[in-house]
Amino acid sequence: MSQRQQQDNGRDTSSTLSKLEVVQKAFMAPFAHKKTDSTRILSDLAPVIMTPRMITSAASRSRSNVSSSRISASRMDFATLGRAPLRLGVGSRRITSGDLQIVEATEELLEAEVPEPDGVASNVSLLRGFKATIPSAEKGRSRRKQMRNIETPRLGLKKLGMSARGLLVEEDDRDARSTTSEDDLVLVPDVNARPKSKKRGRESLSTQKTLGKEELTRQTKEIIRDKENIHVRRSLINSEIAEITHKIEALDSIRSKLEQGLLKLQEDELELDDELIGVNERLEFEQSSSRLQTAAYPALHLPPSSRRRKGPAFLPSEHEELPPGTLDSHTTPITALDFSEPYGTLVSASQEDAQPRVWDLLSGSEIGRLRGHRGAVKCIQVEDHVCLTGGEDGNIRLWDLRRVEEDDDGWGVGEMVNLSDVAEEDEAEELIDRPNGIRAHESVAEKDGPCARVLEGHSKAVTALYFEDECLVTGASDKTLRQWDLTTGQCVMTMDILWAISHPPTATPGSAHSFSGSSPASGAFGIPMHPYADGTHDTYEDFVGGVQFWGYGLVSGSGDGAVRMWDMRTGQAHRTLLGHTGPVTCLQFDEIHIASGSLDKTLKIWDLRTGSIFETINYDHVVTSLQFDTRKIVTATGENGVKIYNRTTLQHSTLLTNGHTKPVERLRYMDRYLITGARDTTVKIWSL
Amino acid sequence: MPTELPYAADAEVSLSYDELDVLRIQYQKELTQTHVTIQTKFNYAWGLVKSPVREHQVEGVRILQDIYRGEPTRRRECLYYLALGHYKMGNFDEAKRFNALLLEKEPGNLQAQSLAQLIDKGVAREGYIGMALAGGVAAIGTIVLAGLIRRATRK
Repeated sequence: MSQRQQQDNGRDTSSTLSKLEVVQKAFMAPFAHKKTDSTRILSDLAPVIMTPRMITSAASRSRSNVSSSRISASRMDFATLGRAPLRLGVGSRRITSGDLQIVEATEELLEAEVPEPDGVASNVSLLRGFKATIPSAEKGRSRRKQMRNIETPRLGLKKLGMSARGLLVEEDDRDARSTTSEDDLVLVPDVNARPKSKKRGRESLSTQKTLGKEELTRQTKEIIRDKENIHVRRSLINSEIAEITHKIEALDSIRSKLEQGLLKLQEDELELDDELIGVNERLEFEQSSSRLQTAAYPALHLPPSSRRRKGPAFLPSEHEELPPGTLDSHTTPITALDFSEPYGTLVSASQEDAQPRVWDLLSGSEIGRLRGHRGAVKCIQVEDHVCLTGGEDGNIRLWDLRRVEEDDDGWGVGEMVNLSDVAEEDEAEELIDRPNGIRAHESVAEKDGPCARVLEGHSKAVTALYFEDECLVTGASDKTLRQWDLTTGQCVMTMDILWAISHPPTATPGSAHSFSGSSPASGAFGIPMHPYADGTHDTYEDFVGGVQFWGYGLVSGSGDGAVRMWDMRTGQAHRTLLGHTGPVTCLQFDEIHIASGSLDKTLKIWDLRTGSIFETINYDHVVTSLQFDTRKIVTATGENGVKIYNRTTLQHSTLLTNGHTKPVERLRYMDRYLITGARDTTVKIWSL
Repeated sequence: MPTELPYAADAEVSLSYDELDVLRIQYQKELTQTHVTIQTKFNYAWGLVKSPVREHQVEGVRILQDIYRGEPTRRRECLYYLALGHYKMGNFDEAKRFNALLLEKEPGNLQAQSLAQLIDKGVAREGYIGMALAGGVAAIGTIVLAGLIRRATRK
């Protein structure tokens, strides 16, 4: 019995079966049949013994199945033996991969958790649904219909409609009854019956036919059951719809997240572009400045490059500590502010205070004040160490901010001492016909250390100014714009807005002004403003809200609500942009757009080349100050928070944390460094 | 809430070929639309399990396993159907385990209890057959052996 010995190896069955194997091999020899590859060797030896369970347990001995099978081995082995006659009787039994798959899966399935059924599952069991949806569910109904001899094709409304419209109707009337129709529920076809019943035509349920009581009760029961079936099917479909809706929502949320990622990338790209431009400019500047080393230092050397195009001045990595948050020393609402660079020097002015204060932003402390103006200062611009202020007295003053620190100590002593310093300094560029003696007798208020020059000419308050290199343009409430040369201190040109209003550049006779708030020709100009967020409101008296120029192109925003574009070579306004219904309070332009904010609570963005409105943003209160770049627009809109509009994502946000307690009036930012001044008399510094 | 389940006898009654065909077409149509409703799956799987062809039963159990994996809410019912399917195929071991799990969750279920009895009866029957076979083989074996020995001693 050497075969027996061989068969004993590699087998974990009990020894009582060894004889059996021999016998069964003899039995099974005539029943040779094909097997799948994996089981052929094992199953050839004793096909009946090697049930799937045995095969899989032999194949993977580490499974716990083996141990558990040993425990029940004695009993089950007999059971597996018992299968022999069944198999022999029924025929060849193939162990397919399907069997294996099922058996292998049971392990993991049994591990899975079985929760309480709820929702549809508890209301409609699977079996109920089965009964409701299988084809034979319709049997009762079709039987009843046939009883009534009513020809009931599937209504085919669509086909009727199409044929009515003269469209080709497919002749698939027969198919409608076959199993390949679109309808879920298909009448198990009774093809033979149809030709006969068709010819019979419609015979309604006549009262002559007696159906009998049992038949009728049966029909009622069937109908009730069919109605229940419909109810079941409806709830099934509803649950499916709910599931699909959830899936769609999940996919939608995923998609929106991806889109946000895209937008972020776009923002980053724009930022990098800006940085690149700035760095290139810086490179050129430094290369050119290295060649100009021989220039006299004490001269009031206005920086040649425009600050609007300066590179990344505020690199967060350079300054680890956050900037000092609040500067508090004014006593009245802030009217104007500007700063030279992040962590540089800030100059701020407030109402009823003729002395703008100078702050050092590194320490957050006040360096000194600029004395000289006789009325409040309405507009300020700072470039490096040069500061220009325009005040209610109609004068524009040019200050050297480096000298503010020098004079700080000597305030109480007497300004005479300083004049000698000033005399030496000014010699380089001042007019020669001002002898020192006269200066010494002049009132101190006119000339002090930091103030390098006074420009007089306007008759009313100067409310807007903009300078670049040696050229300055100012706008005042006398409804004129003046262009000055800063080296000589002379007014080069005067542009009359009133004249431009009454002689519009494009002769359109019916072009009424956007609003008839006040007649510009009258002397006083005062428009009551819409109230701020905290309820206060002023009378807006500034006729010129903002000016900016580049090259010889000047843009001004004025109290008649018009944004005018002037040619500084001729002094004429060649284009007027109408659209605002209130005075323009602030203005800025770059190569592509002009942004203007006004008392009509809107901010309009215009296309520079065509003059058409690109975008209008509505706010809740008047817009008093704005600044924009390619990526964002920061506005002060009469609320406590600073409004930021992201031009890439088209979203608005507000800066409120540790913010002002009263509406913000003025703001200015460079890169990520924002400074705001508000009616609560504080100046706050933010990181964007 | 007790789950509504069919008695095992229902599984012995198979659908007509046409009905099964309809169910299969419905299932495949929804497959092409890549969204198969649970009800369609179950209809088809149940129709397959009910049929006497073993391949159908195997396929039916496989689809039921899909449902089990995919729908936690339906698992309890699926336990019963899986047990039933395995019982029909003769995999008493798996049938017993599924049924045991169902009875854990729902001890009062009549159909599950009756299925448990059926499984036990099936196992016992096979055991008897096995024992009878073993006994018969042993008897034949001893007869043959005795004959050989007698022949040898006679010579």
